[in-house]
Amino acid sequence: MKHKTALLFGHNDYSLEIQKNISMHYENVDIYKLNEDGELGFDLSDNWDDLRLKIDMKDCIVFCVLEDMAENIFLTISLRDTFKNLVIVALAENKESSDKLTLAGATMVIPSTQTTADVIVDILQKPIVTKVLHNILYEKSDLQIAQIKIQNHHLFNEKHPADIDWSEEHSVILISIVHEDMSSEFIYAPRERHHVITNGDIFVVVGYEQDIQKFEKLAGSRCE
Amino acid sequence: MLKRLIIDIAYFINTSASYAKNKHFFYNLLENGDYKYKKYFDIFMITLIFISVFILVREVKAEVDYKLLFFNNYIISIIFFIEYILRLWVSSSVTDIIIKQSEYDAAIGKKFQLFKSIKKVFRVKIRYMLTVKAIIDLFAILPFFHQLRLLRVFILFRVFKLFRYAKSIQTFTSVIATKKFEFLTLFIFASIVIFVSSVLIYMVEATNPDSSITTLFEAVYWSVVTISTVGYGDIAPVTEYGRVVAMFVIVAGITVFSFTTSLIVTAFTEKLDEIKEIKLIDDIANLKEFYLICGYENVSKEVAKKLSIDNNIIILDENFAKIQQARKDGFVALNYAPGSIDSYHNLRINIATQVKAILCLGESDIQNVYTALTVRSFNKDVFILSILKKKTNRKKLVFAGVDELFYEKELVGIIAKEFVGQPVAFEAIHALRTNYNDVNIEEIIVNDRILKSFKTIGELQNKKHKVVLLGVYKKSQKEFLFNPVNDTILESGDYLLVIASEQFIEEFRAYLHIKRNR
Repeated sequence: MKHKTALLFGHNDYSLEIQKNISMHYENVDIYKLNEDGELGFDLSDNWDDLRLKIDMKDCIVFCVLEDMAENIFLTISLRDTFKNLVIVALAENKESSDKLTLAGATMVIPSTQTTADVIVDILQKPIVTKVLHNILYEKSDLQIAQIKIQNHHLFNEKHPADIDWSEEHSVILISIVHEDMSSEFIYAPRERHHVITNGDIFVVVGYEQDIQKFEKLAGSRCE
Repeated sequence: MLKRLIIDIAYFINTSASYAKNKHFFYNLLENGDYKYKKYFDIFMITLIFISVFILVREVKAEVDYKLLFFNNYIISIIFFIEYILRLWVSSSVTDIIIKQSEYDAAIGKKFQLFKSIKKVFRVKIRYMLTVKAIIDLFAILPFFHQLRLLRVFILFRVFKLFRYAKSIQTFTSVIATKKFEFLTLFIFASIVIFVSSVLIYMVEATNPDSSITTLFEAVYWSVVTISTVGYGDIAPVTEYGRVVAMFVIVAGITVFSFTTSLIVTAFTEKLDEIKEIKLIDDIANLKEFYLICGYENVSKEVAKKLSIDNNIIILDENFAKIQQARKDGFVALNYAPGSIDSYHNLRINIATQVKAILCLGESDIQNVYTALTVRSFNKDVFILSILKKKTNRKKLVFAGVDELFYEKELVGIIAKEFVGQPVAFEAIHALRTNYNDVNIEEIIVNDRILKSFKTIGELQNKKHKVVLLGVYKKSQKEFLFNPVNDTILESGDYLLVIASEQFIEEFRAYLHIKRNR
C-alpha cells in the first residue's frame, strides 16, 4: 500500500536521490526549495499553516535535507514544533549535527559522512557479507528481506524461536524479532532464547519470495 | 690483441647475469639500508668490533688466551679485509668504465685507449679509498700486522667502524654536518683564542720561578683545559698578568661552550621533523600490510578511525595542515602528494605486497581521478576504492581504474528508501552489521585446512554450534547460495556467511580449523 505524501525540503543532489528511491512508496513526492516563491517554495520563517491546509500531515513523511546544517536544524525544530507526530527524517553532515538534529526532534537522522564511511569500512573488512546484505536490502537479487507480523502463534506450539530449525522447516532464515513493546532482539542473543512466540511479534526473515509468501500464509501477514 | 681481449672480457662480465646478481647482492648487503638482511650483517660486524676492542682492553693488564689473540689478529682482520675489498668492488664498475671508453673511442674513430681507461679506473677507485669511511676501514685491518707494535693502536679504528653500522651515529653526524660552517667558524675562533692565550700565558708565566707553566706545550695544554671549561687546576697562573689572561680565556670558553651547545640543539631542532619522517618511512617499509588513505577529509577521518582499530593505515595528503590534523588525531600521516609517482618511490611503498587497498578519499573527483590514474600507471592489480562527489564524474573514475565507487548522495537515497519501505528489516540488518547486542554476521573463508575435515555443508554441523548459516559464497561460480542444502560441496576459497553471537562464531571458527581424521 502506498503512503500519501513525502515532502523533501531542500533542492539538491540528496533530495533528488531520495525522490528517485522513495517514489514507489508514495503517491506524491514533492521537493520544496528554500527561499523560493510559489507552490513549492518555502522559507525558514514559515509557520506551516499553508502546508497543514494543503496536505494530510497524518499520512506524510518529511525529509529535511538542507545542506547548511544550521538551517537544517532550524527547519527540523520548527517542523517538530508545529507537527508533534510527524515522521521527520533529517540529513546530518557529521556526528555533531546528528546529535543536534535528534535533539531538535528528528525521528531518524541519516549522517551522510558516517554512513559513507561505514559502507567503505564494511566493504573492505567484510566484502562478501556487505555485498550479500546490500543485495538483500536493496532487492538486487532474488533474495528478499521481509517483516512478518505473527497472527498465528499456535503454529509454533509455544516454542522458543531458537529451538525452531527455520531454514529446514520454513526455508527462511529468521534474523530478528520485534516484540509488541517494540523492543527488538536477535534470536541468537541469549536473552531471546526464553521468549515464547506470541501474536503481534514482528519477524524479520530472509528468503526467496516464494518461501516468504508460504511462511506469511502460515504465520501471519507482511507488514510495512 | 690485449686491448681486444680486455674489451671482450669487460663486455662478458658486464652482460653476465650471475655477475650482476652477485654484485647486486653484495651492494645491498653492504650499502643498501633498505635491504632486509643488511641489519644482520651489521649486527655481525658490530659484534666483531666489540670483541676486538674487548680483547685490546683485556690485553693491557692481563694475559689473553692465544686463541683469542689469533681470532682478533687474523680472523677478524681477514673478515674486515674481505669487507674492504668487497666495498671497493661495489663502489664503482670497472667494466662500465672500460666499455664507455671503448665506445667513446669507437665513436670518434680512434683506437681504444687502454691506458686512459686504466687511469680512469684507478682515479675512481682511489677517490673511494680516500673517503673517510674507507680510510677507517683500511686502518681497522692494520692490526693484522700486530708484530709492529705501533700498528696495534689501529685497533681503535675498529671502533670508528661503528659509524658504518649504527644508524643513530650516522643521523647524529648528518645533523652536525648541516651546521658545518657554524662549527668551522667556532673552531677557528676557539683556535685563535687558544693560540693567543697560550702565547700570552707563556710569555708572562714562563719566566716566573713559581709558575708551573714552563714550556709552550704546558701553555697550550692550560689554554685548552681552561677554554673547554674543564679546568683541572693542575696548572694555574700565578702572576697578575697570567690571571688576566685566564679571565679572558674563561669568558671565551663560556662563549664557545654555550655556542656549541646551542648549535647542536638548533641543528637537532631544525632536523627533528626530517629525522622523525625518515624513521616513519623506515617503519612503513617494515609494515606487512596496510590501507593507504589518500586525502584527509571528513569521510577519510571516519574511515581512518574505524579501520585503524584492526588495521594499519597510512594517510597521504599534500596539504600540510591536514596532515598535522591527521597526526593530532593519532594517525600515521605523511605530507606527500598521493597523485605523484615520486611519493610512492620516496616512501619506498611496495604497492603489490604491502597495500591492502588504496582509498581515494580526497575532496574532489579531480584529485581522486589523478590519484587513481597515478597508481594504475604502475600497478594494475591493487584494489582502489574511491568516493564520488559528482554523479557526472562516475565514468571518469571508472576509466581511471577505480574498482569500487561510493556516491554519498546515492547511499543517503537508498537508506531513505529502506527506512520508509521496511524500517524494521533495515534496523535489523543495520544492527547485524554493527555487532549490536553482541550478535554478528561474519564471513569465514573455506581454506584447505577446513576442506581436509569438511567436504559438504551438512558436515559442518553449524546448528549444533548455535551458528546460523545464512549461505555460502561460491568462489568458482561467483554466486551466493542462500540456505544451501546439506549436500552442497565446499571448495577452497568459498565463504561461509554465519550469524551468531561473537563467542559462538569464534568457537565455530576454531572448531572448523581443528584437524580431524576422516
